[in-house]
Amino acid sequence: MSDIISVKNLIKKYNDFTAVNNISFSVQPGEIFGILGPNGAGKTTTLEIMETLKSLTSGKVLIDGIDVAKRPWDVKRRIGVQLQLSAFYPELRLTELLDMFAAMYDVQIDPMEMLKEVELEDKAKSYVKQLSGGQQQRFSIASTLINKPKVIFLDEPTTGLDPQARIHLWEMVRKINKSGATIVLTTHYMDEAEQLCDRLAIMDHGEILKIGTPKTFIKDLLKTGFKKEIKQEQANLEDVFLHLTGRQLREG
Amino acid sequence: MKKIYRKPHQIRAFFVMTKYFFLAQTRNPATFAFGFLFPVVFISIFGLIGNSQPPLAIGFPANSNFNNPIFQAIRQQPSIKTQIAPESQLENDIKKGTLSAIISVKQTRQAPPHFQVNVITSSANTQIAAIITTITNSIVAQENLRIAGITNPAITVHKQQLAGRQIRYIDFALPGQIGFALLSTAIFGTVFGLIYLKKALILKRMFATPTRAITILLAQGGSRLIMAILQTFIILILGIVAFKFYLPHGWITFVELVILSMIALIAFLGFGFFMAGLVNDENAAGPMVNLITLPQFLLSGTFFPITDLPTWLQPIANVLPLSFFNEAIRKITTEGGSFTQTFPLMLGLIIWGAAMYILAAKTFKWE
Repeated sequence: MSDIISVKNLIKKYNDFTAVNNISFSVQPGEIFGILGPNGAGKTTTLEIMETLKSLTSGKVLIDGIDVAKRPWDVKRRIGVQLQLSAFYPELRLTELLDMFAAMYDVQIDPMEMLKEVELEDKAKSYVKQLSGGQQQRFSIASTLINKPKVIFLDEPTTGLDPQARIHLWEMVRKINKSGATIVLTTHYMDEAEQLCDRLAIMDHGEILKIGTPKTFIKDLLKTGFKKEIKQEQANLEDVFLHLTGRQLREG
Repeated sequence: MKKIYRKPHQIRAFFVMTKYFFLAQTRNPATFAFGFLFPVVFISIFGLIGNSQPPLAIGFPANSNFNNPIFQAIRQQPSIKTQIAPESQLENDIKKGTLSAIISVKQTRQAPPHFQVNVITSSANTQIAAIITTITNSIVAQENLRIAGITNPAITVHKQQLAGRQIRYIDFALPGQIGFALLSTAIFGTVFGLIYLKKALILKRMFATPTRAITILLAQGGSRLIMAILQTFIILILGIVAFKFYLPHGWITFVELVILSMIALIAFLGFGFFMAGLVNDENAAGPMVNLITLPQFLLSGTFFPITDLPTWLQPIANVLPLSFFNEAIRKITTEGGSFTQTFPLMLGLIIWGAAMYILAAKTFKWE
């Protein structure tokens, strides 16, 4: 199968500063692909170049075989985009926002259906600012589904969410992935990368250090003779927390 | 297996965005305050000022002679308010400015009766003093003729009134308030609105859709145009219903006013887009917006005529964008002129607007 995303020798410079330094990777259709890295590693810049929101300095980026630099408008039609902030008009209700985005993509949708998909149908008449953090992210994800995209980009989708909301969001991402969309997400959480992503690119200082599956990463590390101090723990603090508070989603 | 996607219809996106941007504006308290509340409050105040014209007030000292034809004749003048009070109090009132004149009549001979009319006016208002002297002279002259038994004097004055119109302050102020509301909507609304959209990444999220940036900007403009038409309607209807604002040609003038407002808003939006494109945060935008709007509110004949300004300032005030608009709408309202008379003025405004759109196109930063 051909790559749904192909990034070759991508470089992005701001004057003297090189935000993305000659990176290459590809994503297969149906994958959940994670870009893992600390703040300032160049994750968001890479994402925004793929999303046609930023120009590239050099290199080639193809989404579904289309060059983002040459035919950005065709790319925009095939992708769904979630930004770090939930970026929506504060004075519009959820259904109104979805209706507006449907017009911007020139597609016909039923806003209530879309909300049902992210379990927000009872918030249809709410404004974004009245939603909890997890609900805002779910609404944001609903907005990425409007044009039935082939690829969905999620920029740090679970940053700032409580453990229950994170688990809930992961399930939602898996569900959307199963229905056919390729997903590219950035994160700086190891557990998110390990549990959610099929493959990972680890980025720092604008460069990709390693690409592979979470399991091969660990195997490779162990092969080098790496040894972690072994503690006999059958559970960690998160397990305790979830055991005590339950996995039930909390939202006001 | 490439799926063929339809080319997105920018027209549908434009209309739907315009609708929702407008809806968002109606839910924004700042729009409501600047666009509706302030103009409505100002108009109400100006409407009340315009209705209370101070009448001429004449006082008669309590100790003067009232049994004479002069006193009776002055009392019957419709435009004069008379009062009788002790002389010292009347003098005080003159000094305070609440009384226009003191008139006392003294009988100087018994038979046949002769009278002397004393008029004391205030040195502070020579115009009113002259009016009162003239009225008194004419009453005295008429009485003299009557006493002399002359019913057919050699010289007579033939008076004729043309159907003139009294221009009240509201007739001057209301057009200015339309200008104020439009400039606020176009500049405050656009600058702070767009900066917010940029900062909150709302614009960026929209740029991730296939809708073109220019369509988004046009929809922003379109939504403010609807708002402006609504403002003009509300201000005019309030003026007409509550304060009898005068429309020389009725609904034709009304329609002309709405058309002029739309052109003005489009021109003012140029300023809004230019400034919104130049700066990225509210703190920098505040002083800039005030620098553009405040002088215009003061100098463009919004609250008082440009002709009241110092002469050296008038040529500058006359070419401000809001001045062109204010003068154009006064041409067809207070002056009762024809629509074509507004064209040269609107051309001035359009030139301003075009210059701003060109500058905006060159300098606009989306992020």
